[in-house]
Amino acid sequence: MACRPSIISRGSDVGQSTFNMPPAQTESALPMVQPLLKEFQLLFYISKIAGILPQDLEKFRTKNVLEKSRNGMVYMLAMLIVYVLLYNILIYSFGEEDRTLKASQSTLTFVIGLFLTYIGLIMMGTDQLTALRNQGRIGELYERIRQVDERLYKEKCVVDNSHIGGRIRFMLIMTFLFELSILLATYIKLVDYTQWMSVLWIVSAIPTFINTLDKIWFAVSLYALKERFEAINQTLEELVATHEKFKLWLRGDHDTSSRTLDSSQPPEYDSNLEYLYRELGGLDMGSLKGSGKNKVAPVSHSMNSFGESIEASDKATHHPISVNMAHESELSNASKVEEKLNNLCQVHDEICEIGKAMNELWSYPILSLMAYGFLIFTAQLYFLYCATQFQSIPSLFRSAKNPFITVIALSYTSGKCVYLIYLSWKTSLASKRTGISLHKCGVVADDNLLFEIVNHLSLKLLNHSVDFSACGFFTLDMETLYGVSGGITSYLIILIQFNLAAQQAKEAIQTFNSLNDTASLVGAATEMDNGSSTLYDLVTTTMLTPTV
Amino acid sequence: MSPNTWVIEMPTQKARLHPYPRRISPYRTPSVNRYAFSHETPPPPPPPPPRTLEHPVFEDIRTIMSVLKASGLMPIYEQLSSHEVGPPTKTNEFYSFFVRGVVHALTIFNVYSLFTPSSAQLFYSYRETDNVNQWIELLLCILTYTLTVFVCARNTKNILRIMNEILQLDDEVRRQFGANLSQNFGFSVKYLFGIAACQTYIIVLKIYAVDGVITPTSYVLLAFYAVQNGLTATYIVFASALLRIVYIRFHFINQLLNGYTYAQQQRKKGGHRRQAAGATLMENFPEDSLFIYRMHNKLLRIYKGINDCCNLILVSFLGYSFYTVTTNCYNLFVQITAKGMVSSNILQWCFAWLCMHVSLLALLSRSCGLTTREANATSQILARVYAKSKEYQNIIDKFLTKSIKQEVQFTAYGFFAIDNSTLFKIFSAVTTYLVILIQFKQLEDSKVEDNIQDQQQT
Repeated sequence: MACRPSIISRGSDVGQSTFNMPPAQTESALPMVQPLLKEFQLLFYISKIAGILPQDLEKFRTKNVLEKSRNGMVYMLAMLIVYVLLYNILIYSFGEEDRTLKASQSTLTFVIGLFLTYIGLIMMGTDQLTALRNQGRIGELYERIRQVDERLYKEKCVVDNSHIGGRIRFMLIMTFLFELSILLATYIKLVDYTQWMSVLWIVSAIPTFINTLDKIWFAVSLYALKERFEAINQTLEELVATHEKFKLWLRGDHDTSSRTLDSSQPPEYDSNLEYLYRELGGLDMGSLKGSGKNKVAPVSHSMNSFGESIEASDKATHHPISVNMAHESELSNASKVEEKLNNLCQVHDEICEIGKAMNELWSYPILSLMAYGFLIFTAQLYFLYCATQFQSIPSLFRSAKNPFITVIALSYTSGKCVYLIYLSWKTSLASKRTGISLHKCGVVADDNLLFEIVNHLSLKLLNHSVDFSACGFFTLDMETLYGVSGGITSYLIILIQFNLAAQQAKEAIQTFNSLNDTASLVGAATEMDNGSSTLYDLVTTTMLTPTV
Repeated sequence: MSPNTWVIEMPTQKARLHPYPRRISPYRTPSVNRYAFSHETPPPPPPPPPRTLEHPVFEDIRTIMSVLKASGLMPIYEQLSSHEVGPPTKTNEFYSFFVRGVVHALTIFNVYSLFTPSSAQLFYSYRETDNVNQWIELLLCILTYTLTVFVCARNTKNILRIMNEILQLDDEVRRQFGANLSQNFGFSVKYLFGIAACQTYIIVLKIYAVDGVITPTSYVLLAFYAVQNGLTATYIVFASALLRIVYIRFHFINQLLNGYTYAQQQRKKGGHRRQAAGATLMENFPEDSLFIYRMHNKLLRIYKGINDCCNLILVSFLGYSFYTVTTNCYNLFVQITAKGMVSSNILQWCFAWLCMHVSLLALLSRSCGLTTREANATSQILARVYAKSKEYQNIIDKFLTKSIKQEVQFTAYGFFAIDNSTLFKIFSAVTTYLVILIQFKQLEDSKVEDNIQDQQQT
């Protein structure tokens, strides 16, 4: 998986590249940040048609919001019922072979097979019903993400959403590829397509397809969260980098400090330091020129992190341009940086909360997906083994007859599960990294006051936890992945061992029966010869004693 | 000193599915001093509602307490005042002692009769292994209950201490905020009824299943078996109820703290922009935070005390329950797949056992998980409080530093932590065992079938 670092542009760059007009005008004309949902359009349309999301289509197209819709709900329920019906017809029409199978097969295999055939349906039902239940709350979630984006933008840390659309498209293409290849290969190779009922086989792909679409929503939203965490980390790291440069400049500057003392016009330093002055020195370019350009803040954000209005504190920090720029920046540094760090910390907390809320919304689908993944993976491998031993397997698992198709199906299923686990793990790692980045700030500044701030905030960060779990039963991280793979292996070994034992028992009986037949033949021959039937007796007694 | 005007209600069953059940009572009768969760000047006080001073303590779990008191598991305490309970009187103590003696005598009698052929009629099953299973189940049940009685007898003082601490804490909350922390413990009564119904049903099933005349010894055995099961289950429900009580207290202080978080502050600020009450929002913070820290510490001590009181019982109950669930699942499977000999009696029996044990396990792990999460949530909520002045920041830092490595957990005698993941682990273990058992059974069956075939052939 590619973890591209999020593109972050500083305030000055934003002014030129992304937003060409001054922010004050932008705010009145356009929303400050592009909503994340804008990138979800394609996915939304496909999900809407497939009946995964009940939200209103028109509202999404015009305003990029997810809103409740009664019609969508009815459509979705109808789709769910149609799917369930079709799937049952499929099971019925393909189950005829299974009915003969039941007599020859052990009951356990049959029961497990029955369970396995329906788990896909259960998974699909969980997805759709959960989407129905959450239809109001998903919209809220994306609204919260938008607000976080706004706040991040105010801290001059812009998150780039543009490549999320590409990601969605890539995932969709992969899904189509996998589904189609599995479906077609199985249909051509393993289904008797002379009968028209065989067309129903297409239905067998519906549950996994719908499930994957639903999981793409989750995965991409999770990815977006991860990007926001990384954006925060990046901002902190950049603070560190610029401060290092600033320190270098200071060291160089002390030798020639007399020059800056008498300069009344703004000194000429390179663009990096210009940024730094705004960032660390509490002196905006706007405030330098005395204009009111720093009133970017929308109404809801006219307060700082302590709930006090920014205007007041701004007035207080509006120093006249002092003679010694470097000294001035160091002085006002702490309070300004403190506010910025505070804000970042709050945004971090908000993202963590969003992550928790998202996990909550998708907890049942994830649980069912994990159960499905585990069961299907084990079953497919076991049936592959059975197929190589020329034993009969349930008809819905006919793809196991072909190793190649099995490999594709397994990589598709495991890809889904592993990607989700991996992404959750990475996200919680990214959230934990913020503390490290924060500490770098404290170390590089080497200032007592800032150290105190950093200590205080890192204690807070320690308590922001975002751990993704499936209903609290297990957390989604690499440890669980390891556990699950261990579980699959041990189950496979148990199943195969018992299969072997049963097979050996069967063979023993068969050989015994055939031996019995030959023995009786021999006995008949000996009797015909009127000889002694000792051989017959011998054979029968030796063969019968162990079993009787 | 305001009257009981605050009631924190537990969310309903449906609302409890939500991750963060934060619901405060809708009827906000204003208190004399101020609201606990809002920091605004209260409207003029209404006439204080009448308050019954002879309000009995622990009224919420009265039913379950009386059952446990009658069976000698709980001391029959004396109520000294509205916030203190005293040790039981000599007569009551003697009564508890007497009941426990009777219980032990009965246990010995039962064990004796189990090993004599008189009880053989209760074990009639169609296969040898099933009888052994039932034996083990019986013995485990006896063991669990005996352990419960012993541990309870030993922990009489501790239980009283815990109860006193809870009552003191309540009293303090009442004095500080006029909030009366009570809630509807309807679930305990429901569980009590459920357990009683389950046990009666099981006995009736068993009596119907036994053929022939049942001897009095068997009746005693059966009845005592049911009582043992029922009382163990009741104790588990009681432990869950205690945990729920602690949960409500934790929830209260978390709610209190939540009023100071930046999101709440901003919301308030947004609502009352014109009032411009800048510093007043955090005005009460030092006072409240000290109170919260104290409460939190006390609650943690109570939580630990409860854990110490019942962890041995919990271990043995979890073991017993694991065994029962496994064997009953297995029996159920055997019954369903067996050709021709499906007995509805055994089916119902298995279902009754499974229902009881699974619901108890779910209840226990759920209340443990909820309480643990709420206890750990305090520091997370405190991390959301952003204070401007250094003094306040230091207050916050102190608590956060203290709670860095203070991971609160409810453990089963230190073996493992009990929460939702325990439920998951138990069920995955049950599945594994089931698969193995069923496979062995099939091997056995196929051998038996072959033998029959062979005998028919020869």
